[in-house]
Amino acid sequence: MAELDETARKLTIKLVYYGPAMSGKTTNLMSLHDLLSPDLKGEIMTLETQNDRTLFFDLLPLGFRTPSGWLIKLKLYTVPGQVVHDATRKAVLSRADGVVFVADSQRSQGINNSESFQNLEENVHRVGLNFKSLPLVVQFNKRDLPNVLTEEEIRERWSAAPWPLVMATALTGSGVRETFVRLLEAVYPVLDKSFSMHDAIGADARSFINAVTGESFGNPV
Amino acid sequence: MGIRSEGYDSALSLRELLSGVAPDKLLAALTVLLGAPARVVSADGAWVMGDNPPLAESASRLPLVHDLETAGYLETTAKDQARMHAATVMLESLMRSGARYFMASEMHLEVVKADYEELQRRHAALMASEARYKALAEKLEDRVKEQVNTIASAHRQLYQAEKMASVGQLAAGVAHEINNPIGFIRSNLVTALSYVQKFWTVADPVKSSGDTALIAAWQAADLDFVLGDFPSLLQESVDGADRVARIVSDLKGFSNVDQTGEETADLNDCIRSACNVAANQVNSRADLKLTLGELPPLRCKAGHLSQVFLNLLLNAAQAMKVRGEIHIRSGVENGQIVIRFEDTGSGIPAEVLPRIFDPFFTTRDVGSGTGLGLTVSRDIIIAHGGSIEVSSEPGVGTTFTIHLPINKP
Repeated sequence: MAELDETARKLTIKLVYYGPAMSGKTTNLMSLHDLLSPDLKGEIMTLETQNDRTLFFDLLPLGFRTPSGWLIKLKLYTVPGQVVHDATRKAVLSRADGVVFVADSQRSQGINNSESFQNLEENVHRVGLNFKSLPLVVQFNKRDLPNVLTEEEIRERWSAAPWPLVMATALTGSGVRETFVRLLEAVYPVLDKSFSMHDAIGADARSFINAVTGESFGNPV
Repeated sequence: MGIRSEGYDSALSLRELLSGVAPDKLLAALTVLLGAPARVVSADGAWVMGDNPPLAESASRLPLVHDLETAGYLETTAKDQARMHAATVMLESLMRSGARYFMASEMHLEVVKADYEELQRRHAALMASEARYKALAEKLEDRVKEQVNTIASAHRQLYQAEKMASVGQLAAGVAHEINNPIGFIRSNLVTALSYVQKFWTVADPVKSSGDTALIAAWQAADLDFVLGDFPSLLQESVDGADRVARIVSDLKGFSNVDQTGEETADLNDCIRSACNVAANQVNSRADLKLTLGELPPLRCKAGHLSQVFLNLLLNAAQAMKVRGEIHIRSGVENGQIVIRFEDTGSGIPAEVLPRIFDPFFTTRDVGSGTGLGLTVSRDIIIAHGGSIEVSSEPGVGTTFTIHLPINKP
């Protein structure tokens, strides 16, 4: 759940990149850091790694100010993908406003993907969120690798699922921004309902997304 | 909203961000770096590092940004822009490092707490499961023992019942076949008795007829004696036939062990009936003495109890190396029916005594006993809520004592 500070006129939104180990969650964050240019952009903070594997989480803060003077902060987190770090995953996931599930497109990773997705669903319930109403985007990463599932196969398999599907190669940045925008599109209506984004804060969906991604506020592309 | 959430992702104040740095050392270093006095204050001015006094009005205020927000200011009277920028970068790096430390430790605490709680939960679940299995295992052993006993007891009763059922069938058949001839034999004997009386009516006319030949023939045949002895012979035969009839009827009653229903019976009748059935085997080996006190009528399986009495009686008879005495006593003691079978037989050796009720334990030659008689007897007595004890002295004799509770009215 996002945090609203009326006195400081500040809204903090939490977005989480979830997925199996080595699926490219941190790479997504690094790509986003390079691709996006919002008014306010922090450095990626990496907490504890072991052989380049995330132990706790990575954090990328983004933000902008609305013309009416509100500070909108987005905190993008990654979870550690390795199975043993479930308690950390659960802690990072708590109070999330939206989730990107980063799946590995390689054929060999099918089981890891589905186990991780199941783990996401369990942890969503365990931290008291509603899996049905939680904004979620599914990204199939590593499209550049050989021996990956074809896009048709993936769309066929996920045809019954209600979430947007995005194909991506986080290493080159392809699909990373699209994934993020699809998530913002899913998150905005929920935030608007809870905090009257449009009326009280003065940010409609388009200007909100433009501001986060780095188009100037209020000017559609 | 507006409530600051606790945990690794909570917002941090300047004070918290710089809590790992010694204020006097940092301020001294800043003063050297900037070449002028410096002061670090939080964004709202509420916290001042090292509680330094305010600087001159002309001092610059440089924002210190953390997490996209201005967390505080570096105030300095220095004029060198490059040095001021360097100092800001250094302070922001320190703040970042502080934040990193704070978040990592908070996350670590959360994870440890969650792991610990999970561990506690699993431990509790394991303990509960262990207790459940322990209880189950304990109960299981008892249940198995109980079940084994039940099955063994049922098996013995079944064996005995089957044996008795076939004996009963035979007895019933024999009884039916004997009853008819015994009936007409007895009837004929009684009729014959009345016929003999008629001969007496002929005696006087014959003797007073004066026919010497006739009288001589009468005397030669010793008909006075014959006619005198005849009725007692017949009477003894009638008694004998009655005894046969009684034994047959006892045998029938005895074989009714397959009738498992309860009936009200006088146990003394059961004892007498057992004695009648066993009379042949007992009389040749021992003198039987009955001291039967008055017993209240008992709701019981009379056929089964008769079986017990017969078993004890036959055992006593078989224990006789030389002719001895078997004494059966019944009575009521302390509100219980007590029946004792005392014999003056060879007795039971002390090492055998504890085993005599065990199934298939027998001291007799193979084929002459099943080793089930006493076991089944005890089962039957226990089924009636009673008990059976034995005391024995080799060379002196053995006493079996049966206690049976009198039914509540």
